[in-house]
Amino acid sequence: MFEWLEYSILSIWVGESLWGYPIMLSFHVVGLAIVVGIFTVFNFRILGFFESIEYTAFVEFFKLAWFGLLLNASSGFALFSSQATIFVNNIPFLVKISAILLGSILAYFIQSRLRAFAYEWDVKISRPSRKDIWFARTSLILWVSAIFGGRLIAYYL
Amino acid sequence: MIEILVQFLESSMLNNWILSTAWFWPSLEIIHFVGLSLLLGSMLIIDVRLAGFVKAMNIMATHRLLPLAGVGFFINLITGMLFFVGDPARYVVNIGFQIKMLLILIAGLNALWFALKISPVIMNWDPYGDTPFLAKLIAYISLISWVGVLLLGRLIPYVGSG
Repeated sequence: MFEWLEYSILSIWVGESLWGYPIMLSFHVVGLAIVVGIFTVFNFRILGFFESIEYTAFVEFFKLAWFGLLLNASSGFALFSSQATIFVNNIPFLVKISAILLGSILAYFIQSRLRAFAYEWDVKISRPSRKDIWFARTSLILWVSAIFGGRLIAYYL
Repeated sequence: MIEILVQFLESSMLNNWILSTAWFWPSLEIIHFVGLSLLLGSMLIIDVRLAGFVKAMNIMATHRLLPLAGVGFFINLITGMLFFVGDPARYVVNIGFQIKMLLILIAGLNALWFALKISPVIMNWDPYGDTPFLAKLIAYISLISWVGVLLLGRLIPYVGSG
């Protein structure tokens, strides 16, 4: 399956054209900054920083973060397809993909709790529970792990 | 002038240590990427609000995020300088690096413009309202230049020298 992927039109363009790979990498770093940046600010907010930012505002900013994730799923797939058989055996890549999958699933749960409670938290009827705090800590660890794995891919090729 | 700097850095102990310590360069890269996420993430939230979107966020809260942007910038200034010391000859002639530095300068001057013209009056605005034209202009310059910094930074290994 991964060999077949390497011979698709997309992967040949990314792998063999002069600019395909660097252009995809450039999109990939912008998407990374959007995703990790926004989720990090939100997680810090849950952990007690930036208390003047409304939780309801983050409902909007999460949409931007999902856009960043979509950008990176697309550019990431293009990069992956150009060297699929190498990436699937690369340990840092596997660490990175696992962290991203878990981070995205967790972000979905974080978002559902945010949508349900943002208003209550803002008007201080209630505040983030221990569960939310653990979600925030885990989310921070997962996104940093994704960067960690991603940066090391090239050193294990 | 530039050649003297390159020669000086290449013969420095720090350069020698950076190049001879296998784990150091990848560690710098990881830290540099965490730094850029902190910087761009906080700037994105600040600039989106300053451009007049996400009015559920009170405009004064943008100020609370400036220290995080500062932390991200500082982390990347330090790690970036270490990259430079580790391989100065490659960076000084790299067009991607040169444009990246120019964009950081533009972003810096734009931040100064914000500090002089927006910061002193921002408390007079409707905290949940639209923003004036100048605020929007500064926000878009900031977004474009920081995104440009990321794009050019990532292209450094691929663009020609000179």
